[in-house]
Amino acid sequence: METADLSHHISRRFNEDLERVRAQVLSMGGFVEQQLAKAVVAVVEGDSLLGETVARDDYEVNKMEVLIDEECSRILATRNPTAGDLRLIVAIIKAITDLERMGDECEKIGYIASRLAQQERPVDKYREIKHLGRVVQSMVHDALDDFARMDPEAALRVARRDRLVDEEYEAIQRQSITFMMEDPRAIRRVIDVMWVVRALERIGDHAKNICEYVIYMVHGKDIRHVRIEDVERELTKSESTN
Amino acid sequence: MLVVGLGLAVGVAIGEPWWGVSGALAFELVRNLVNLHQFDHWLRNRNRRDPPDAGGLWGDLVSQVSRLHRRKQFHKQRLLSLFRELRRSTASMPDGVVALDANREIVWFNRKAAELLDLKRKTDFGIQIASLLRVPEFSRYLAKGDFSTSLRVPPRLGDVTTLEFQGVPYGEGQVFLLVRDVTRQSQLETMRKDFVANASHELRSPLTVISGYLETLALDDQLPDELRPPLSEMRRQAERMTAIISDLLELSRLEASDEQVVGTPIEIAGLLSLLRKDLAARDAKAHTIELRIESPDGLMGDMGLIHSAFWNLVDNAAKYTPAGGTIMLRWWTDDDGGHFAVTDSGPGIAAEHLPRLTERFYRVDPGRARDKGGSGLGLAIVRHVLQRHGAELKIESIEGRGSTFSCHFAPLRLVREPVAKGSDSRYSAEA
Repeated sequence: METADLSHHISRRFNEDLERVRAQVLSMGGFVEQQLAKAVVAVVEGDSLLGETVARDDYEVNKMEVLIDEECSRILATRNPTAGDLRLIVAIIKAITDLERMGDECEKIGYIASRLAQQERPVDKYREIKHLGRVVQSMVHDALDDFARMDPEAALRVARRDRLVDEEYEAIQRQSITFMMEDPRAIRRVIDVMWVVRALERIGDHAKNICEYVIYMVHGKDIRHVRIEDVERELTKSESTN
Repeated sequence: MLVVGLGLAVGVAIGEPWWGVSGALAFELVRNLVNLHQFDHWLRNRNRRDPPDAGGLWGDLVSQVSRLHRRKQFHKQRLLSLFRELRRSTASMPDGVVALDANREIVWFNRKAAELLDLKRKTDFGIQIASLLRVPEFSRYLAKGDFSTSLRVPPRLGDVTTLEFQGVPYGEGQVFLLVRDVTRQSQLETMRKDFVANASHELRSPLTVISGYLETLALDDQLPDELRPPLSEMRRQAERMTAIISDLLELSRLEASDEQVVGTPIEIAGLLSLLRKDLAARDAKAHTIELRIESPDGLMGDMGLIHSAFWNLVDNAAKYTPAGGTIMLRWWTDDDGGHFAVTDSGPGIAAEHLPRLTERFYRVDPGRARDKGGSGLGLAIVRHVLQRHGAELKIESIEGRGSTFSCHFAPLRLVREPVAKGSDSRYSAEA
């Protein structure tokens, strides 16, 4: 198996640059994880202040994205990386876009949370959001772990979990339609809940993208728009021939 | 020598002395070569074979080398068992240990750390720990490099477990990271705080009823005169209890979060004149109150909290300063930030009490302080408010001369131009 080995560079500075920018991506990821956790808590607990805080702090995510983007451009321009290093930089540039989008979705959830807090809370206390939130949170967490460890097999397993999120999304959608039919007064609130669920589902998709970049980075294979089963077959094949 | 002599003797006996000597030398040469070969063979496999039997010089050599070898083997075994012992003992430690190099990359970790932090033996050596443990507070703690304090955070947000991290620097920039599961402790702490908040809250309603009836009773004209003094004492104590309870509630609100307050610009000059007015109105002892505002700068903070902290300091000064004394309120700014100080000409506080003064219910003189009507929580509130603003409380005191309580705010907190007068209306609302 080919692994991205960062320790074989003649130029130590180059190595340090790569390591630093990778650490920056993961610290950005950590911040996004926290935003997501806070946003979900804000909805579930009806904490409007926390929701506003999440929405306000999104600029931090954007700031980090700009910073890392500049750093990557600088490395591309001055170091001319090739092969694995080039793939790392490309993967990072893509990953930060996804992280930034995740941040935007969290911001959206934060806004809605502060609005939902003004309204009456349903009997189930947004249990479905809590559950979906937990699934998505663990997906983001594991995706970033695999990014740090450059572990394509684990990344593939995480990417597969996106289907779970999609199923959950469908189920909540159906349930919400029933709620709206039962009680038209709840429509406004249920639509807000739908927005939150939609945002969570999108975050799951972005986490899946990050997993794909891990596989691209290590194996040099682009698996976007390819069915997961095919990717898996490919990977196991290349494993046995190696 | 012996062999050569024997060869010579045999040679002389058969009448060819040179043949005898040559034969003896050849024999000696072959014997040496055989020994050399055996020695070499043994050296290569010295762990599995016994040393060869050889006489003379070769025998000495073999025994010397084998003695050296045995000694080395002994030391190696001892080091190895020491190392194993060390590894076993760290593995069985109840706390997690992670060794980090100067780049904060993971060098080694024990089993408990793997369990607590979800680290993997197969992949995680050489990865920066902040890449795997991405809680922003932890990254900040590690980046700051100040390991005089520990850090308590959940390994990821929303997790019920709380971990305590303590860095121990060693060598050249390396760090040992100790990790402990403090979930139970922090739950107990939360329970205690919740209990105090709930109990205070529950006590408030019955107390309101009691105070209300006491007030009505005091207004009753038909009340016998001998009941008036105990009734007014009851009213005073009820008031005090109300004050304690509201302080407890405020304190538990403050403790609920460690997050820094952002707040709004506060105009300090206005706040201080207001405090002075309030004090003059309430003060029965006719103190001289001096106000020194040496800077037009304002402060970023939570108006309600700052007012409460400053008022507590001013009120304390008034309580403990005898009639006719002076109280000075001073606000100034310099390169270190903004400073607010309350100086009184009271009896002062002995040095041994100073470090414990901000503890809850701490009394310098238990008998004396109670009749001043304080709750014993004032300075604890001040300390918490300042903590939430990243500020510091300093207390200086000389017995018999007076005390100075000062609050020091960082330069970042200052609002460098005069704050708009428009926000003044809030003062009266808060007071």
